[in-house]
Amino acid sequence: MKKNIYQPVEAVIENIIQETPAIKTFVLKPKEPFSFRTGQFIELTVPGIGEAPFTPSSDPNLKDRFEVTIMQAGSVTAKLHELEAGATLGLRGPFGKGYPLDTFKGKDILIVGGGVGLAPLRSLLFSLFAGIGDYRKIFLRYGARTPNDIVYKQAIPEWAKKEKVDVVTSVDVGDASWQGNVGLVTTILNDLGLDVNQAKAIVCGPPIMMKFVTLKLLDLGFKHEDIHLSMEKNMSCGLGKCGHCRVGRFYACKDGPVFTYDLLKDIHDIWD
Amino acid sequence: METLFLKNEDIFKFYDRIALEYELYVPTEAQSPFKVKCDHGFSLPLQEYLIKKYSELEKDSVTFNEYRAIEPIRAFFAHFKEEICEYFHDTGEKRPVAKPLAIAGIKNCDLFSLQIQDFVFLGGIEEDPAYKERREAALIISSDCPSFKETCFCRAFEINPYCAQGFDFNFSPLGNGYLVDIASIKAKKIADSFKDILTEATFGQISGRSVKRENVVIRMEEHLAPHKIPKKETLQEIVKNGFNSGIWQEQMKTCVECGGCIFMCDTCHCFLLSDEPQADNHKRVRTWDGCLLKNFTRVAGGANPLRMRYMRLRNRYIKKFDFFPDNIGYQACCGCGRCIDVCPGKIDIRYILRKLHEEKYLPAS
Repeated sequence: MKKNIYQPVEAVIENIIQETPAIKTFVLKPKEPFSFRTGQFIELTVPGIGEAPFTPSSDPNLKDRFEVTIMQAGSVTAKLHELEAGATLGLRGPFGKGYPLDTFKGKDILIVGGGVGLAPLRSLLFSLFAGIGDYRKIFLRYGARTPNDIVYKQAIPEWAKKEKVDVVTSVDVGDASWQGNVGLVTTILNDLGLDVNQAKAIVCGPPIMMKFVTLKLLDLGFKHEDIHLSMEKNMSCGLGKCGHCRVGRFYACKDGPVFTYDLLKDIHDIWD
Repeated sequence: METLFLKNEDIFKFYDRIALEYELYVPTEAQSPFKVKCDHGFSLPLQEYLIKKYSELEKDSVTFNEYRAIEPIRAFFAHFKEEICEYFHDTGEKRPVAKPLAIAGIKNCDLFSLQIQDFVFLGGIEEDPAYKERREAALIISSDCPSFKETCFCRAFEINPYCAQGFDFNFSPLGNGYLVDIASIKAKKIADSFKDILTEATFGQISGRSVKRENVVIRMEEHLAPHKIPKKETLQEIVKNGFNSGIWQEQMKTCVECGGCIFMCDTCHCFLLSDEPQADNHKRVRTWDGCLLKNFTRVAGGANPLRMRYMRLRNRYIKKFDFFPDNIGYQACCGCGRCIDVCPGKIDIRYILRKLHEEKYLPAS
């Protein structure tokens, strides 16, 4: 019998990594075969509480396990953050289209993340690293509110050491130990040294950050169709039926959640 | 399509036969305190109808509905609130095997709306299992509208008050009985077992029906003329153009956020998934939801793109008249007028569309 589309499968929390005071990465082992393409999202259920959408942050090429980096923000994530390793979650998906990696080949790739928005981008980075020969250069520009709010603190310096990978991090407000850039992520997008006609930009972060990064990228000369934005609305069913995540003539869950700016630019209030 | 004739007195033989195989629902008169009189001098009927379970009705309360019933027909296929699965172990055993539905009293506006519901629940990436099961097994017994309500405006969008497709049986009242169209194999099988009461329709009867149908259309168009409802071809354009119109705020002054318009709507389809904790298997429940309700688009953390009431009203029109034309080729409004009937704030879709049209084509000098 075909499985009910609304029914989650079990996924056990194997490990929990505290990234920042409000952000944890959950290592999950699904009880049924599961795979995703980078940029696709899933619905995670806290049993008896409810479901919420997240984008996996791990390497899509890894089998058996995947990771999701989650900030405590609402009722489901509050319960998630109370759970310990060994607990069982529900999993549905993956949903949506993911990043169009084929169109990235031969290009400079600029990845701009804000806060926990680096989570889906980490999965993208792993995918790019796996085929690094296919791309010209990868630029990662990451902004967080404070040094404490930076996720993947150990991994970021490792990525920076990779060949063809250029990483700059910035914080809105520094502290005594912070030696890096201070300022919004838009301030570290100047003088990248890439050819905007041969480049793709991928942006994920809070709406206000995505808005100003997009405006900056347009200023830099990026073409509308080369700017990829994560429109993460309150996706619920994941199948284009429940109606919650409409963006213009699209549903974020089935047509996105990643859209190129040319598809979004004429839609009112997309940054709200 | 085969067309037969059934005498009035044989209708219960027909219903009884259907009720053997199906859970039959039929129209019955409803007492409603809400009577909307026509402002334009037409003497229109004020009767209301509900579609109820045949097995629970006295025969003398079963009637022929002259126009659409109070409730939206989608309620039969995606229930207002229902358990859609258990997790993590869904055996499905607890759910009783339901008899297939047979629904009489469906009108052409409802058939139009079922196309929207089918697009949502049967189209796309995955089919909705509960909807599919009920919809495919159901016997649709539609009927012509020999009359219309004050709030009916199907003809404004060129939807007829009579049915041409999308049903199994269609009933057209004529003289001392009904012309019965047989449109499916399912219906044909049933009709074949009724050779004694279903007789061949005469040419005269069929042309008589055409005249009757045409008369309703003419009368309705006279009734609609003063409303100046824009043509369906202009809907997308005027709603897009009206994004910054003052009409949204003006109209929402009387909205009490009851959600009546979305829940009575024949084409609305949005729903909310929620979980009910159980000791063993948890339940996942689907409840109707709608974009006029405050937290429809709210995300974790509190941001709400549709935070103001006027934004929600505007969003509803964008969904119906912009999103759907882009995705399915026509508007998600059948002109049934249920949203007008139900609204305690007297918010009227006919008026809003007319104003949007005037703002686009008759700009203030």
